[in-house]
Amino acid sequence: MNTDELISHGRSRFEHAAAKRLLKEKYQGKLTFAFGGGMWRAGPELITLLTGRSEVDIVLLDLYENPVRVIAPQLLREAEQRWKEQMTAWLVEYEELNRNR
Amino acid sequence: MTIGALIFAYNNEQIDYVSMAQWSARNIERHLGIPTHIVTDQESATTGTNRRWFDDYGQTFAWHNESRVNAYELSPWDRTLVLDADYVVASNQLRVLLDSEQDFLAHRWAYDITGIDDFSNLNYFGNNRMPMWWATVMMFRRSNHARLIFESMTMIRNNWEHYKKLYKNKSPSYRNDHALTIALGIVNGHTLNYAGIPWALASLTPEHQLTQLDTDEYRVDFLTREQRPRWISLKNQDFHAMGKRHLGDIVANNP
Repeated sequence: MNTDELISHGRSRFEHAAAKRLLKEKYQGKLTFAFGGGMWRAGPELITLLTGRSEVDIVLLDLYENPVRVIAPQLLREAEQRWKEQMTAWLVEYEELNRNR
Repeated sequence: MTIGALIFAYNNEQIDYVSMAQWSARNIERHLGIPTHIVTDQESATTGTNRRWFDDYGQTFAWHNESRVNAYELSPWDRTLVLDADYVVASNQLRVLLDSEQDFLAHRWAYDITGIDDFSNLNYFGNNRMPMWWATVMMFRRSNHARLIFESMTMIRNNWEHYKKLYKNKSPSYRNDHALTIALGIVNGHTLNYAGIPWALASLTPEHQLTQLDTDEYRVDFLTREQRPRWISLKNQDFHAMGKRHLGDIVANNP
């Protein structure tokens, strides 16, 4: 076993894990958006909840646990757009991180 | 509806908070597209009595942090962002707060960018471990609720020794974070359940080295608990630079 290689690998893994954790914190914030008087986080849960609903008017609990009446297709559009943009940006940064390490 | 930012900046014998605030105002304009008013008083900047230890300078000197409670009164806007001079705006993240319908928002949680410190001490204060709210970033709308919060902060500041004892707070200096926490408790009926900024405050503690790589891109060099050197980069991410020395150098290089 090459000890230097092992140390170097461990160090690289440490830095990668720290950077990965930081990216997650960063994009948790960037997935948050205000809409229709409520605060939301774009993600599979919200998007799934809104997808394919027959009713247009819907009352949902926002991040502050307040019931907010929203137009479902509009909120879905906003959530999908935010999700796509930020997840793509997250992926770009993550791939760059993998290349650099 | 008018929107703007407010930064309180009082220089002391070591730290040029006014330059930091001016630099931050340019970042705010660039990312958020809103004007910033810097509240300062160079005259009083050398006459304060509140003093604290600054880790990154290894010294104790004046800390002029007592006027933040006047933010509600001083702000000319309907919606105001109040930022610490050492909060680095490197993205449009705070725009979400200005679009929010909440009357008042602040961070409940902060985390260490390096992951070294779990902030279990910094996210609480006093012997009773009161859950602390950070006054680093505050958004308020002109409203009765926000006015009461700032009026309560003023009352707490003016009677600091009383509140310090009441909350078994060992902090030697008055802190806006503590006053804000107590005020939020009072105004919200001590429910400990109120709206906050829905993400944690990225924070960099003073012992780590901060350098600028490019516009909105920074590098943090730090030592692990085992004293091993590591680094991490920050790109298009806002953060609280708790150490002023390195941020001061960056600001000086960006006149």
